[in-house]
Amino acid sequence: MNEALLRADGVSKSYDGLDVLHGVTFEVGRGEVKVVIGPSGSGKSTLLRCLALLEPVDAGEVWLDGVRLSGVREKELAQHRSEVGMVFQRFNLFQNMTALANVMCGLVEVRRLKKAEARERALEFLARVGLRDKANSYPDELSGGQQQRVAIARALVMRPKAMLFDEPTSALDVELVREVLDVMENLARDGMTMVVVSHELRFAHHVASSILMMDEGRIIEEAPPEQFFSSPSHERTKRFLALVE
Amino acid sequence: MVASFDTHLFWEALSSRPYWHGALLAFELTCATLGAASVLAFFLALGALSKSRPLRGAVLVYNWLFRAIPTLLLLLFVWNGLPQLWGVFTGNWYTAFLAAFIALSLNEAAYMSEIIRAGLMSVDPGQELAGRALGMTRARILRRVVVPQAIRIIIPPTANEFITLLKLTSLASVISLYELLGAATVRANQNFAFLEAYSAAAVYYLGIVSVLMLLQAQLERRFTWRSGARRRRLAPAPAMSSHEAR
Repeated sequence: MNEALLRADGVSKSYDGLDVLHGVTFEVGRGEVKVVIGPSGSGKSTLLRCLALLEPVDAGEVWLDGVRLSGVREKELAQHRSEVGMVFQRFNLFQNMTALANVMCGLVEVRRLKKAEARERALEFLARVGLRDKANSYPDELSGGQQQRVAIARALVMRPKAMLFDEPTSALDVELVREVLDVMENLARDGMTMVVVSHELRFAHHVASSILMMDEGRIIEEAPPEQFFSSPSHERTKRFLALVE
Repeated sequence: MVASFDTHLFWEALSSRPYWHGALLAFELTCATLGAASVLAFFLALGALSKSRPLRGAVLVYNWLFRAIPTLLLLLFVWNGLPQLWGVFTGNWYTAFLAAFIALSLNEAAYMSEIIRAGLMSVDPGQELAGRALGMTRARILRRVVVPQAIRIIIPPTANEFITLLKLTSLASVISLYELLGAATVRANQNFAFLEAYSAAAVYYLGIVSVLMLLQAQLERRFTWRSGARRRRLAPAPAMSSHEAR
């Protein structure tokens, strides 16, 4: 078996004395799509932020492509962060920039590309999420679904090794969810390594290599979709699935 | 008694050199002070928002000190007191304008730092998070993302500060800096035409504040991010081709 692309090894994390993650071990291999579900407060988002190198871990290690990144200093971490794409629940597009400028930003500010080249690439990626014609719109002028697609393009344009999605559709109106999931499904089909926190179970069923259930800062179950949905082994998972469906 | 407003005296005052000079001086002092105070205040605000306790404490002490001391007292202290404290301030280079600039800037920075701090805090933390996730350094996020968005919040209270400062510059007449109100007082005391002398001064203040308000409206438009509301800083993308010279 090939080595995991992104790996958390016994990661613990607490905020103000509140334990959010208890020694979580998790890995995602190249081209795999892992969907993480679980009740709110179970540590899903925190796990994602640790994997995105946005939060230092209290204990344990985070590995990206064979490099240990927990404990690396802030300055060097910044570069590594750009190797992992992150998509947020609330989009977090830069409000003071057009869609195009949002997508260009990482190329110019982090990759130090020339403006003209960054622009060309950014337009190409906006086209990939079907928003080439919205290049000059500001986030305020876009629908939630469009904003999230721009946010995906902004992460993708950096050519990350893996993409992390933190409840990418839960802030969206129902009729806008599909367009975002479509983009994500295409990505998965293209072989992108993905970790997705989401309660879109149909998406999970179609796309996931495996599904993980988190509860109280632990991963309590991991299984391929068929098995996960038809015969979850954990009582907590059964109850949760009953509630979500 | 008949109303005795003498338009001739009014125009004379309005067009006199001391008025024009005084107004220019007040305007220059205000701009210089607000500029210097904003720069200082920006770093004070960063200090106030930093994780370092001593830094936050230092900013607190600064703001406490310079908000508590009356501006007039500070002005007199800087003009009369500093030369007694340090010999260098007795030189000819130490002008009343410079003293007023120093005193008002120290004072104003304390107020501006609170305005800037509020502006920085008003920016959604998700903006910084997204920047970090992209791999941007904190300094770059501040410059490209957070500060531009904070400026929009900062503009209206800063325009207020400008107006307050413009009026505060009249305090500098006590250290023999003949700005606008100083010029008006001198004139009024010469010919006792108080009405005309002060009305003419008021016209200058109105003029300066009008210009400022126009500028404020312009700035606010510029820092609103909707394509209809402002001129774009990035050239619009061509409809189809991806060729672009810039």
